[in-house]
Amino acid sequence: MEAKVVPQKFIVPIGPQHPALKEPGHFEFTVEGEVITGATVRLGYVHRGIEKSTEDRNWVQNLYLLERICGICSHIHATAYVLGVEALAEVTAPPRAQAIRTLVCELERIHSHMLWLGVAAHEGGFDTLFMYSWRDRETVMDLLEGLSGNRVNYSVNVLGGVKIDVDEKQAASIRKGIDFLKERTTYYMKVVTTDETFLGRTRDVGTMSYDQADALAAVGPTARASGIPRDVRSDAPYAAYPQFPINVITAKGGDLAARFVVRINELFESYRLIHEILDKLPVGELTTRVPRRIPENEVISRVEAPRGELFYYLKSNGSEKPERIKVRTPSICNWATVMNFAVGLKLADMPMILAGIDPCFSCSDRTVVINRTNQSQVWSWEDLRQYGIKYYR
Amino acid sequence: MNLTIPPLIALLFFPGGIFLLGSGLLYEYVDRKLVAQFQNRIGPRWFQPLADILKLLAKEEVTPEGVNPQLFVALPVVALAAALTAALYVPMFGFQATFTFRGDLVVTLYLLSMMTLCIGLAGANSIDRFSIIGATRTLTQLFSYEAPFLLALLGPAIVASTWQIGDINQYAMTHTWLIVTQPIGFIVAVIGLMGKLELPPFDAPEAETEIVSGALTEYSGRGLALFRIGKDVELVIGLTLVVAFYLGGLGNPWVFLLKTLVLLLITAGLQSLFARLRIDQTVGMWWRIGALVALVQLLAVIIGLFIGRIF
Repeated sequence: MEAKVVPQKFIVPIGPQHPALKEPGHFEFTVEGEVITGATVRLGYVHRGIEKSTEDRNWVQNLYLLERICGICSHIHATAYVLGVEALAEVTAPPRAQAIRTLVCELERIHSHMLWLGVAAHEGGFDTLFMYSWRDRETVMDLLEGLSGNRVNYSVNVLGGVKIDVDEKQAASIRKGIDFLKERTTYYMKVVTTDETFLGRTRDVGTMSYDQADALAAVGPTARASGIPRDVRSDAPYAAYPQFPINVITAKGGDLAARFVVRINELFESYRLIHEILDKLPVGELTTRVPRRIPENEVISRVEAPRGELFYYLKSNGSEKPERIKVRTPSICNWATVMNFAVGLKLADMPMILAGIDPCFSCSDRTVVINRTNQSQVWSWEDLRQYGIKYYR
Repeated sequence: MNLTIPPLIALLFFPGGIFLLGSGLLYEYVDRKLVAQFQNRIGPRWFQPLADILKLLAKEEVTPEGVNPQLFVALPVVALAAALTAALYVPMFGFQATFTFRGDLVVTLYLLSMMTLCIGLAGANSIDRFSIIGATRTLTQLFSYEAPFLLALLGPAIVASTWQIGDINQYAMTHTWLIVTQPIGFIVAVIGLMGKLELPPFDAPEAETEIVSGALTEYSGRGLALFRIGKDVELVIGLTLVVAFYLGGLGNPWVFLLKTLVLLLITAGLQSLFARLRIDQTVGMWWRIGALVALVQLLAVIIGLFIGRIF
C-alpha cells in the first residue's frame, strides 16, 4: 500500500495500535481543527480464516472452532451453529436444553452489555463508571463460571442439546446474583440519564433517525436506539424464545444517550427473562441424538447476539464435514452507521461513537471483496492465493 | 513559626530542591491512591511515583525526526525550572517564603503558566499529529482557565491590599477564613487549579482515547520524567497557594500538611465524579460561567471594601 500525500489535509490516524482500541482496526479521520470532515475504516488485521477452516473439520469439531469467533459473545455463535445443524439434520433439542441455551444466552447478554457500558464510559473519559461496571460484571462472570466451569468460552452447547444442567442450588445463586445486578443497574441508569457532564458527551451526539438507521441496515441495540423494533428474538423466535417471549426495547433518540438507555433497559429485560426461565424450567432430557453424517441441504440460522442479528449460512454435502459455512456478524452491519455519521462531529466524540455500536473487530474480519469499481467481481481460489502472495511479498 | 533559612540550602534542599521534588512525588501518590480508592481500585504503592520517575530517567530518550533538537531537550528543563522557581515565592510547608518582594504573586502565577506553555511548545515542536492536536488543546485550555484562576486569586489579594503572597498568608491567618467570605472565588480557584494541572475532567489535552498522550506523545525517558516531576511540583505549589489564600493560611508544617491533604481529597473526589469534557465544552464553561462568576465575586469584594471604608 503506497502512502498518498495529500497536502492541506490533516489526517488523524487511529489504529491499528492505539489506546482507544482494544482490538486492531485502522481509522483515518480528516480533521479541520476539532471537526471531522472525512472518515475511512480499514479492517482485516485479525482475519483468521475461520470460515475456510470449518471445511476441514467435522460437524462436531466446528462447534468448538466457531465458538471462538468472538471472545465476548461466544455462546451465541455456538447457538446459531447448533440450531442450524439441528435444522439440517431435522432433529430438535429437548425443551429443557433449549431453555438452558436461552438462559446462557441472556446471561451472556448481561455480561456483554455491562462490558460495553464500561468501555463506552472509558472512551468518554468517565473511568469511575468503567471501574464500577466492570466490578459488577464479575458477578455475572462468576455465575457463568459456576454454571459451565468457564468464564468466556462456556462450551454449553452440543449438537442436539446442552452439556450442563441447572440444579436448584445453581438456580438460587443465579437468582441472587441477578437481584444484585438489578439493583446496580438501576443505579447506572440513574447515572447515564442524569449526570450532566456525561449527558453533555452523549446527548445529541451521532443522532441517527429511524429512516437513516433503516437505510443503513443497522442491527441490534444500535437500530433499536433509533426506534426500529428489530430483534430476532421476537421477529423469528428460536430456542426457547417462543415459550419465553421478550419485550423489544426501543428508544426514540437515536443518539449516544439513547444507545445507553436501550442497552441498560435490555439488561432489565434479561433479568426478568432469567427469573422466568428459572421459574418455569421444563423437565426432561438434555440431549437428543444427531447423526454423524448430515444430509445434503442448506439452511439459514438467525439469532440475536448482544450486538444484533447474527446470521449463519450452513451448507452440507451429505458427508461428515460441511460444504460451506458463512458467518455474518452484527458488527459488520453497523460499521456503515459509524462512518456515515462521523463527518461533522468533534474528534473528541469519535471514540464514543466507535464504541457506541459495540464493535467487535475479530467478528468483523471475514473475507470481503470491496467492490471499488462498478464491475462485479468473483474471485476464484487461485485468484485469492495469488493476491495473498502478492500482498505479503 | 517563621524561620529564615540560608539561601543556598533553601534553593538546593529545603524547602526548594530535593525536598520539593520528594513532596511532589508524595502528593502525586496520595492523589493517585485517593482516585483509585474512589474508583474502587487498590491503587499504587507508596513508592510507585518515584519508581516511575527513576525508570523513565534510566531509559533512552528518543529524539524524533522533524523536531528542533535543542528545543526538544530544553523545554522539559525550562518547565521544571519554572515550577521550582515559583516555589521560592510561596510559603511552602508553612515556612516563610524564601524570597519575597512586592508583587511576587503575579510573578509566581506567570512562572506556573510556564509549565503549560512549555508543554504546548513541546507539542508544537513535534510533527506528530497527536502532539500537534494536544498542543492546540493545551494552549486553548490555558487561555480559558488562566483568566478566571487569576481573578479568583485576586480576590484575597485585594482584601489584604497587598500583592505579596507572604502578606496575604499573614492576613488569612489573622482574619476569618476567606472561603467563608469569598466562597465563589474558592470554587473557581480549585477548579482552575484542576484545569491547570490537566486533571480529569479537564484532561482533554491528553485524552488517551483520542490523541494518545497529547502534546507529550513523542517524549520518552528523561524529558518525560522532567515534565512529570514539574507537574507534581506544580500540584504542591497550587495546593499551597489555594490553602494559603482561602483556607486560613499556613502557620506551620502540620497545618500545611493537614489543609493541603484535605484540599487534595476534594480535588480527587472531583476527578472521579465527572466524564471528560470536550475542549469546546471546557472553553465554554470557563468563559460563560467561570470568568463571569469570578468577576462578580471580584466586584463584590471591591464594592464591599469601598462601603467598608465609607462607614
